[in-house]
Amino acid sequence: MGETNKQVPVTVLTGFLGAGKTTLLNRILTEQHGKKYAVIVNEFGEQGIDNDLVVDADEEVFEMNNGCICCTVRGDLIRILSGLMKRADKLDAIIVETTGLADPAPVAQTFFVDQDVADRTKLDAIVTVADAVHLSTQLSDHHEAEEQIAFADVVLLNKIDLVDESGLEVVKERIKKINPFAKIIHTTKCGVSLSEILNLDAFNLKRILDTEPDFLTSDHDHEHDDDVTSLSFVSDTPLNMEKFQDWFSKLLQTKGQDILRTKGILDFTGENDRYVFQGVHMLMDASPMGKWPEGKERSSRLVFIGRNLESMNLKEGFENCKSA
Amino acid sequence: MKADSNKFPELNKTKFENRGKEFKLGVPVTNAITIGNSVAVGFGDGTVRIFRSGQISEVIKAHSGVVLSISKDGEDILTGGDDGRFLKISLDGEIKEIANFGSRWVDHVTAYNGSLVCTSGNIVYLWMPNKKEPKLLEHESTIGGVAFDSKGRRLAVSRYGGVTLWKKDYSNKWSSSNLIWKGSHNKVIFSNDDRFLVTSMQENQLHFWRLKDKTDSFMSGYGAKVKSFAFVYDSKFLVTSGSNEAICWPFDGNGPEGRKPICLPYVGNKPVTFVEPFPNENAIFTGLSDGSVFLSEIEKSTNTIIIRSFTESEVTTIAVTEDCSSILIGDIGGNILWTSIWDEEEK
Repeated sequence: MGETNKQVPVTVLTGFLGAGKTTLLNRILTEQHGKKYAVIVNEFGEQGIDNDLVVDADEEVFEMNNGCICCTVRGDLIRILSGLMKRADKLDAIIVETTGLADPAPVAQTFFVDQDVADRTKLDAIVTVADAVHLSTQLSDHHEAEEQIAFADVVLLNKIDLVDESGLEVVKERIKKINPFAKIIHTTKCGVSLSEILNLDAFNLKRILDTEPDFLTSDHDHEHDDDVTSLSFVSDTPLNMEKFQDWFSKLLQTKGQDILRTKGILDFTGENDRYVFQGVHMLMDASPMGKWPEGKERSSRLVFIGRNLESMNLKEGFENCKSA
Repeated sequence: MKADSNKFPELNKTKFENRGKEFKLGVPVTNAITIGNSVAVGFGDGTVRIFRSGQISEVIKAHSGVVLSISKDGEDILTGGDDGRFLKISLDGEIKEIANFGSRWVDHVTAYNGSLVCTSGNIVYLWMPNKKEPKLLEHESTIGGVAFDSKGRRLAVSRYGGVTLWKKDYSNKWSSSNLIWKGSHNKVIFSNDDRFLVTSMQENQLHFWRLKDKTDSFMSGYGAKVKSFAFVYDSKFLVTSGSNEAICWPFDGNGPEGRKPICLPYVGNKPVTFVEPFPNENAIFTGLSDGSVFLSEIEKSTNTIIIRSFTESEVTTIAVTEDCSSILIGDIGGNILWTSIWDEEEK
């Protein structure tokens, strides 16, 4: 995913049915902002969306023949984004609404895999609208709901007027357990400033350096095996690059289906630069990100969000990467 | 619309540019179609312009968004747009709306002898001559491309998982068979002799089927998606974009399997973005990502001449008039060159 200012930012809007996606869309489109947005919708018709640039699409998930077993992309998105890039008038942003039961991974992977899409557009952020009243039940009943939280850069916790304070805390804890990175914004009727959900540049590797994950200290007692959780590791001992690459590439190859998202900042022995990466399932975007700031401790940080993480011996694998 | 002859530094101009007309329109050129000795050009603002020798038409305001696809029916232009409209436009600029799908795009259009075809989503809409209502041919996934064979009896529809081949019997009934290959198939074409069917894929490769025995194989090794490809007049070669050279696969005999393509290199080593066969010759016009266009003989790569110097905008269309007298070149930056091909050309 390159970085030129010609790339149009794409915001992906996920969330279960009834959480308030359409309300948010209408809010984005009706606010006086003087910007030109295109909106790609999949559940058109229930509530009217008032914009001359609404594109109706069917979510089509395609498997890629690139040797990456869990690599799926959104074919409709490739087609529509390349069509929108031929327009004479330049768009300020594109918003993709997914259906309530959609897995966000193929959408994110499209920006890693398709060169035309990556050249002209960039994934800005995944914004998940969650219903504060029903999220807990949905998380227990539908793995798609977990994935939508796991992939979110921002969770818009909506309808908070309908839950009491303790109920709200329970839902927030649940979200943080799945995804310690997501910024949680409380709303009623999706009332949120657009600057909090658009143009966040959340997939820019540089931004990873600024995001401090909000980990819960609570134990992981009550999980089912297939619950989505997160694990993080920190090391002050520099890592051996070869050992790390070997371990990490094997890990993604064999467990990539269960590992939903990874992020990390790495300190390698003999390297002056910080290495920053992020991944979606088996796909990775990585780059050296300049020198370590002077006077600050160098350390490696690594975060996994996924299922069955406990079974992957991640701690042991990470420890083995430390330089002797 | 104004001609801007100051666009390129005088020194860098080719003789084709010097004797032709250049236009700096600032609107992406999306596609073009040759109708006799005219060329109709579609743009990213929904307009269509018609270029004829000695004159250029008024701007035809066809679509409100992008002209996504263009074809012809006899002397008429057919266009599909991201405003959901399927239009028939006469060379005089008269517009007739054939269908309107609202917020669903019309991705592909084609025609054969009065039978009109457009696709929107996963459906092919087929209007038989003089019929008001279209026949609907439904597919499992969104359609990547559509093409009639040279006799109009078969309609190939590419999609996810392969190609659906529709065949018309003598009572005008359509039945389908499937050509299967895993992955997403985009543009589809028949060879001019109808012996082969070729698709471009989401992966950086092409797939082909030999229709007499339905054997299939692929052509790979490209650095990018192959968006532009075409057969030369006698189908001896399939010429393709997707690399820093024009890759020309041999399609005589049993096809390219086990054979090597001819690779035509160009000055600057830039990606090839558009290829257009020269009518009735084993030669091609090749457009590059920097806007430059060359003409090469496929089997004598030393015979390459430069038609247009660079504009820094990728070439998105090249069209040659039926009498081979003129060529139109358009790019993503909205630059157009409309020029005569031959020195002795007199207009």
